[in-house]
Amino acid sequence: MAFAAISTTFIALLLVGLALLTQAQVDLIVDSTGGKVEVSVFLLDTISESQNAELSEKLTSMPEVAGVDYESKDDACANFKRLFADQPDLVNNLDCNALPASFKVRLKDPEQYGVIAARLEGQPGIQRIVDQHAVLDKVFRVTGVFRQGVLAVGVLMLISAGILIANTVRMGLYARRKEIGIMKLVGATNWFIRIPFLIEGIVEGLIGAGLSIVVLFALKVTFIDPLYGKITFLPWVQTSDVIATIPILLAAGVLVAVVASFIGMRRFLDI
Amino acid sequence: MISVQHVSKTYKKTITALDEVSVEIEKGEFVFIVGPSGSGKSTFIRLLLKEEEPDSGSIYVAGKHLGGLSSWKVPYLRRNIGTVFQDYKLLSDRTVFQNVAFALEVIGKPKHVIDERVPEMLELVGLGDKINALPTELSGGEQQRVSVARAAVNRPLILLADEPTGNLDPATSQDIMKLLDRISRLGTTVVMATHDHTIVDAMRKRVVELDSGKVVRDQERGVYGVGS
Repeated sequence: MAFAAISTTFIALLLVGLALLTQAQVDLIVDSTGGKVEVSVFLLDTISESQNAELSEKLTSMPEVAGVDYESKDDACANFKRLFADQPDLVNNLDCNALPASFKVRLKDPEQYGVIAARLEGQPGIQRIVDQHAVLDKVFRVTGVFRQGVLAVGVLMLISAGILIANTVRMGLYARRKEIGIMKLVGATNWFIRIPFLIEGIVEGLIGAGLSIVVLFALKVTFIDPLYGKITFLPWVQTSDVIATIPILLAAGVLVAVVASFIGMRRFLDI
Repeated sequence: MISVQHVSKTYKKTITALDEVSVEIEKGEFVFIVGPSGSGKSTFIRLLLKEEEPDSGSIYVAGKHLGGLSSWKVPYLRRNIGTVFQDYKLLSDRTVFQNVAFALEVIGKPKHVIDERVPEMLELVGLGDKINALPTELSGGEQQRVSVARAAVNRPLILLADEPTGNLDPATSQDIMKLLDRISRLGTTVVMATHDHTIVDAMRKRVVELDSGKVVRDQERGVYGVGS
């Protein structure tokens, strides 16, 4: 019975962890493409100060524009290094000069990309204009479904794990009912009786959580690490991202265990 | 010490266990509750422990009104009451020492107190040489003595015994009764439910007789049956 509780907790938290990492991956992709901007205007290295200023003014004055941020070549370089920190080959082979400066434009209505592009036609200093929205939209749609699906299944499994833990605790109480009866007769408080069972439930939750964390690391090393060298234009989730899930998974494991243990004990100890 | 006032208790609306029972027991008394099976003796004991609540009437134990006692306070009430039952109620996977120590552990007594009092108590009941035995290795009489030791180790105000000699032969029963008598002389109020004539007659303590839930006799230095 304890095995069932632990294994269900493990699978549940593994799925929750996967959902969290998928979200982290999506966030990284968004970050690498310039953040939640709709339009990226990449600039030629040869752009002059005045052309730069003129372009900036033109963009900010457009009624469809919500905001404009400038990313210098240095900024671009620093960002790249940050995003691809776990892929040293990529960073070392990078010629920072190759990264262009850009204006990151946020629109009030993402559909207005065409209007902006048309207006900038012929403007000097522009290398190219990218419709981020179209790119990101596709990414979000695919990963969104995946992430939500995984999370939903994970939550359902957490509930199952909770039920299993509650049952393990209840079975334990039933098996020790003679001893518990004597404890009550002799004047033990309910808490004195509860604590060993609570600990049992929490240990089950922690083991399940621990296993899920270990497997998440294993999955990352097995599937993501090889991608660092192969698909180099995307930032992949790093060890730090996996580490970030640890407190969430442990907390979830313990919380579910505590709640489930209390529910399991209620029927026996409300005398 | 114990005041039972007009207490009635019915089970499943038809079975009357106790009917307007009133009994006053002073500190240090030794009282037998006698009567045939079904007369309400065990119910009486259970009410004193607040394992059940009366349908009507009031019960005061050590000055506290049981009716007004909230459930989280019940353990603290029971720490003042030692109990001995017919089936000994020992933990079969623990030694004699551990069984008696249990009563002290559960109320948070430190190890040095336990290590002092438990052997003392076991000597008192005559089990000094069986400290590390398991209940399965003991005779019925010895197990009951462990039970008595556990009941008394906390120096309770009251000791309740429900048919403690029920599973024991006459000779062993006498030994247990001597123990209970000794404990009573040390100041503990003893209330014992039994239908064992011989014991009651031999000891000439106060006898409260129940029949079909009613008190039919309350006699100092009594015997089991009237005219026996």
